[in-house]
Amino acid sequence: MNTPLLSVENLKVRFPVKRGLPWKAAQYVHAVDDVSFDIQRGETLGLVGESGSGKTTTALAVAKLINSWEGVVKLNGTDFFSLDKESLRLERANIQFIFQDPYSSLNPRLTAERIVSEPLRQLKNLSKKELAESVDDIFDAVGLRPEQKKLFPHQFSGGQRQRIGIARAIISKPQLVICDEPVSALDVAVQAQILNLLRDLQKRFNLTYLFISHDLGVVQHMCDRIAVMYMGKIVEFSNRMELFNSPQHPYTQALLSAVPSVDRKRRERVQRIVLSGDPPDPLNPVPGCHFAARCPSVDESIGCLKKFPPLDTVSESHQVACYRFKR
Amino acid sequence: MNDSFRSQNKPALLKVQNLTIELTTRLGTAPVIDDVSFELHEGETLCFVGESGCGKSMTALALMGLLPEKVSRIASGSIEFNGVDVTQASADFLNQLRGNELSMIFQEPMTSLNPVFTVGEQIAEVLRHHQGVDKSTGVKLATQLLDQVKIPEAHRRVHSFPHELSGGQRQRVMIAMALACQPKLLIADEPTTALDVTVQAQIFDLLDELQKEHNTAIMLITHDMGVVAEMAERMVVMYAGRKIEEGPVDEVLQQPAHPYTRGLIACVPHLQAFMHEERVPLLEVPGVVPSLNQFGGNQCLFADRCDQVNERCLNNRPENKYTNQRSVACWYPTAEGVFL
Repeated sequence: MNTPLLSVENLKVRFPVKRGLPWKAAQYVHAVDDVSFDIQRGETLGLVGESGSGKTTTALAVAKLINSWEGVVKLNGTDFFSLDKESLRLERANIQFIFQDPYSSLNPRLTAERIVSEPLRQLKNLSKKELAESVDDIFDAVGLRPEQKKLFPHQFSGGQRQRIGIARAIISKPQLVICDEPVSALDVAVQAQILNLLRDLQKRFNLTYLFISHDLGVVQHMCDRIAVMYMGKIVEFSNRMELFNSPQHPYTQALLSAVPSVDRKRRERVQRIVLSGDPPDPLNPVPGCHFAARCPSVDESIGCLKKFPPLDTVSESHQVACYRFKR
Repeated sequence: MNDSFRSQNKPALLKVQNLTIELTTRLGTAPVIDDVSFELHEGETLCFVGESGCGKSMTALALMGLLPEKVSRIASGSIEFNGVDVTQASADFLNQLRGNELSMIFQEPMTSLNPVFTVGEQIAEVLRHHQGVDKSTGVKLATQLLDQVKIPEAHRRVHSFPHELSGGQRQRVMIAMALACQPKLLIADEPTTALDVTVQAQIFDLLDELQKEHNTAIMLITHDMGVVAEMAERMVVMYAGRKIEEGPVDEVLQQPAHPYTRGLIACVPHLQAFMHEERVPLLEVPGVVPSLNQFGGNQCLFADRCDQVNERCLNNRPENKYTNQRSVACWYPTAEGVFL
């Protein structure tokens, strides 16, 4: 078996929270708690979950944009975290980010051309001519017109700005592109344009995506394998077909059933599971399964409240962290 | 042009006729709502769909009499609520109506609650104003309302400030406030866009339940076709300030007549009953909604994004065509056998 492009092992991210008296020890939010996954070349791995489940934090930690508490991230077999400052900076050319908000993620004082070429200026030594050629190619690839190069971000629409963001992310020919909710700030009709573009670019440049979204319809369309996160933990990990056709974790089942659908057959087939309450306080994680407090089928006798369940194998490409599955 | 193609025994609770609202900007005056007519009956849910900038929220604000002053005005048409024309009503009358018989849930629960008052005080304010109850009764009733919208430990939560609540709970507080006086019409402007899907499901269940209990009419503004399919009986599709399609939800979703409606449905990757291995590219609606200065032209405003545009579309504004249940504003509607 060939080495995966990216492998993440036991990643943990904690944020200190100072509350109360200044001499009291800081508490920690366990934003990402013992997360492991691999991404193969050319595939799209989806991270789904509700807000606060640790999707974005995982992605930021993978790109070392925030420091992790523990864990190893290997890109092409080399340890990404242990690189010294300069090699890390150069290695960043291989991991690029597409951000959620196309309004705040572009510098308003730079022209589109300048924004898009920025990664090349920082990471590669190119002549002016080469730089201009790369920018022209990438503008063409993402569907922007050459005469738009001299415009500033405010002169573009939301969808066009996201195209600029995409161009900036792929101009350095990265191996892994992290897409953090790339379409959730856009209008529905524009979403389709961007999603189709992302899939075209993936085929054309053989890109690998780590795709973060809370919209299960979008994830279903974009991703080959999907990790479902809840409170910083992966609760289910599966390929696309199995996850959507036979979800095993009660949280995944509830999440899928909550998505309103235009397909009448689906509405008749899927029983809506309404979860009560809100997720528990991330500052004081309870022992046992994090989902236990809201789980419709929680059972004390199988250990739901004692220890977080390990990932169990359902099939070759499907794992679930739930005690109930073994029964 | 009369829009009464729905024949029902009871008169409509809300009857909007040929409403045109003009907005004045630096670029000039343009109709943000252009000759829109619709009806809403008691106990019914009507969905408004469309992209942002199509006039959905403006319609809602017009109904509430909350249009931005000075820059906008109702140029023509009428809004009849319960037999009274709201557009001609006095400010005092509107104040009596709003929050009492007519209330609204806004999109962003954090910015529409007052951060310096407890949620109990804010709910009680509605009751004090409209029903003249005293302060302590107000808080007592507020507790009951919070309980009704399923906020756990309502007696404690009633003294919380908005920042102490989660997004879903804040939206519930908004709903409690909107329902305090048991309104006849509830306008919900994208009530769940800021919320997670599981919370969205809770909120919709709640609205459904409360509607059945009080026979409230709901006008729901959304851009999610899935929500439309689950919540509403009828839907109105808006584009560039115009009503381009209207009809019963099931029929419109199955056989959309306007190319824009078709695009809106097909451009979103929906969850299907059974997933297939193959993934077809999404249908794209190219371009974006036209800017305000193009509104109101004597042409089909969707023409530059439409794949079946011709001369006629560019030179004539499409008239509304009606059948028994539906209407469409397109020269070449597509639902087979429905529009001839």
